[in-house]
Amino acid sequence: MAIEAGLIAIGAGLAVGLAGLGSGWAEKDIGAAAVGAMAEDQKNFGKGLILTVIPETIVIFGLVMAILLWTKMV
Amino acid sequence: MLLPDKMTKILIVGSKTRIKETIDILYSLEVLQPIDFSSEEEGFSLGSPLPEASEASQRLLKLRSAEKELEVVDKPLAERMLLSKIEDEVDDVLISLEAEITGAVESKNRIQNRAHELEAAKQTLEPFAVLPLVIDLYKGYQGISVFTGVVRSDPAKDLIEALDRYELFASSDAKFVALFVAKDEAVDAQKVLIQHGFTEVPSPFGKGDPQEAMKAIDAELEALSASLAEATEKISLLRKKHEAFILASEEHLSIVVEKAEFPLRIGSTAHSFLIDAWVPQKSISQVQQAFQGQLGEDVHVEVLEIAPRLEHLHPEEAHAGAEAHVKEEAPTRTSHRRPVNLFAYLTELISTPKYSEIDPTIMISITFPIFFGLMVGDIGYGIPFMVLGALGLRKCKSKEWRSISTMLLFGGIWATIFGFLLFGEAFGMHFGPQWVLEPGLTMAQLHAEFPLGNELSWSSLLGFQLPSLGVLSKLHDVKLLLYITIWIGFAHLLIGYLLGIYNETIRHGFKHAVFHKVGWTMILVGGVFLFMFIIDMLILNKPVGFDDPRMILGLVLLLPGIIISFKGEGGQAILELPALMSNVVSYTRLAAIGMSKAGMALAFNMIAIEMVAPMGGIAIIAAIAIFMIGHLMIFILAVISAGIHGIRLHYVELFQKFYEGGGLAFNPLKIVRKYTIER
Repeated sequence: MAIEAGLIAIGAGLAVGLAGLGSGWAEKDIGAAAVGAMAEDQKNFGKGLILTVIPETIVIFGLVMAILLWTKMV
Repeated sequence: MLLPDKMTKILIVGSKTRIKETIDILYSLEVLQPIDFSSEEEGFSLGSPLPEASEASQRLLKLRSAEKELEVVDKPLAERMLLSKIEDEVDDVLISLEAEITGAVESKNRIQNRAHELEAAKQTLEPFAVLPLVIDLYKGYQGISVFTGVVRSDPAKDLIEALDRYELFASSDAKFVALFVAKDEAVDAQKVLIQHGFTEVPSPFGKGDPQEAMKAIDAELEALSASLAEATEKISLLRKKHEAFILASEEHLSIVVEKAEFPLRIGSTAHSFLIDAWVPQKSISQVQQAFQGQLGEDVHVEVLEIAPRLEHLHPEEAHAGAEAHVKEEAPTRTSHRRPVNLFAYLTELISTPKYSEIDPTIMISITFPIFFGLMVGDIGYGIPFMVLGALGLRKCKSKEWRSISTMLLFGGIWATIFGFLLFGEAFGMHFGPQWVLEPGLTMAQLHAEFPLGNELSWSSLLGFQLPSLGVLSKLHDVKLLLYITIWIGFAHLLIGYLLGIYNETIRHGFKHAVFHKVGWTMILVGGVFLFMFIIDMLILNKPVGFDDPRMILGLVLLLPGIIISFKGEGGQAILELPALMSNVVSYTRLAAIGMSKAGMALAFNMIAIEMVAPMGGIAIIAAIAIFMIGHLMIFILAVISAGIHGIRLHYVELFQKFYEGGGLAFNPLKIVRKYTIER
């Protein structure tokens, strides 16, 4: 059980960690472009925010997976 | 209330003799937005400015140049100035201003220029001050070449070998040199110097000892700075004296110029003018009465049409009909009562709603605070949020801070409600009951008996039983919370699609709405049934077969929905199916963020209360500090994460289902006076 629980914990950590890296990777370029657009025209803030947070759903998927794994552990 | 106010297009026609009065009425009503005249209409040309425009512009130009030179900035004044006073005095003040300012500003500029010159001269002198030579000695030789400049290494040794007749002066660190050498050896000298990284510094003009010269410059600079202070003081005195008049008269003259140049936006003939304008439908009678009452028969107001919500899909369809179909887009004027209007900024941040679509502000004002509250869900944070928000709304003026305060106030209210009724938590701890591991009772039995778990609670911290509040625990009912948030997602998106159907129907007709929104609504509802079926079959492992009514109903809605959407939008619809699924899953963040907050709070509570505090003595102070800093951090993170994620669920998931935006905000003619008063 101890090894099993440990493996589950590692899996949950990987799920949320890698998903976080993935969203960060995707968001960095969009965020940079959004800040550029905002510097040109303040009105672009809302659109920039939307576009920047679109990949963020990936990390939510990772988090949900991690939580489901974690509930198996306890 | 959901749709923007109905707009009416009106036409105002009148004799040019009454144009001035007409403009005054237009500005005083504050409900008219003129449509700029396009000079294509036959028989009409653009109007020309009223005669007072040019004089007022000239005065304004002078005022603004004085304003710039005196560095006058906008600021609140003690009292407003009467227009009649400005009219009477503006010319005299302008003349005296010109005379006073020119002298003061010129003398200030002269002093500054001289100071710059001296600074430059001092800079060229500076390196030469370290050599024991007077300035006259560097120039005026027939048979000798002089090299002065900086070197990277000491050239003295190499020069002895290369040259016969020369003299070298160097600074004590050998970085700055002056080399005097016979003309015929100059080329050799240059070669040696270049090897040592020589960069020439031109020798200064003038006479005498460079140090003396620098002292003289310093003395003059000091004298100059005194007179510069004097000149600046003089200018600031002038500024204080004229500031109020300059600000007030600039405001007044700008208004005069704006009004006088208004005819440039309208059409006119030799003796008449015509103005097209948008007016909210409910203000029509007010406009008609104002003109009727003040100008009688001289100016005629005609109501042309109420702007329709229906839009034409294809340009060719629009042109096929009568020419009347070619029309401008009506501006959007939304009117919400408090507190909904406090959320309007959040809609503006994306885009102004179109004239023919539902203003999503009311949607944001209802669900955004609920989402925020669900993610925070803690009395300990909810009450400070409420207090901060209420204070912010009272004190803050700027739109951004007001909208953040609104978010905190209403989000805080919901956070307190959920913290009290749903989660029963304050600062990440339940209120009760107090749990003790009794002998003979295993951990598993405790879990069964107390589903809220036995982590730290206020009861155990304070030492007496508090009533157990709330029905769920963020850290123990994770699956259930995820399940609930998926349902919130379904409901929220369904509202979005229903609003979408309404929008499409009023804009393009019901047929269009079926192909673009009803199909998707069917997919979503079908998905709901399938979701229930899949949960039962895969997660709860209930014995359900494929003849389950939910499965059949789900497919019956889903498959035709896909076909309808495919007909309406093409292959893109198929590609967007997974996107709809991810939209639903996206709502699980409501549970996930609450959970992460609770996890962090639990960690800080354990460190402070279970690990540090029992050591006693000074450790109790340390425990209190850890507790406070930790929760302050979670509190600040809650603003950022709950705020951003809450608004994101609206912007990304909800708005895409019905909101287009890109409307033009209604911007009526009006005059705002800050510094002046009419009478």
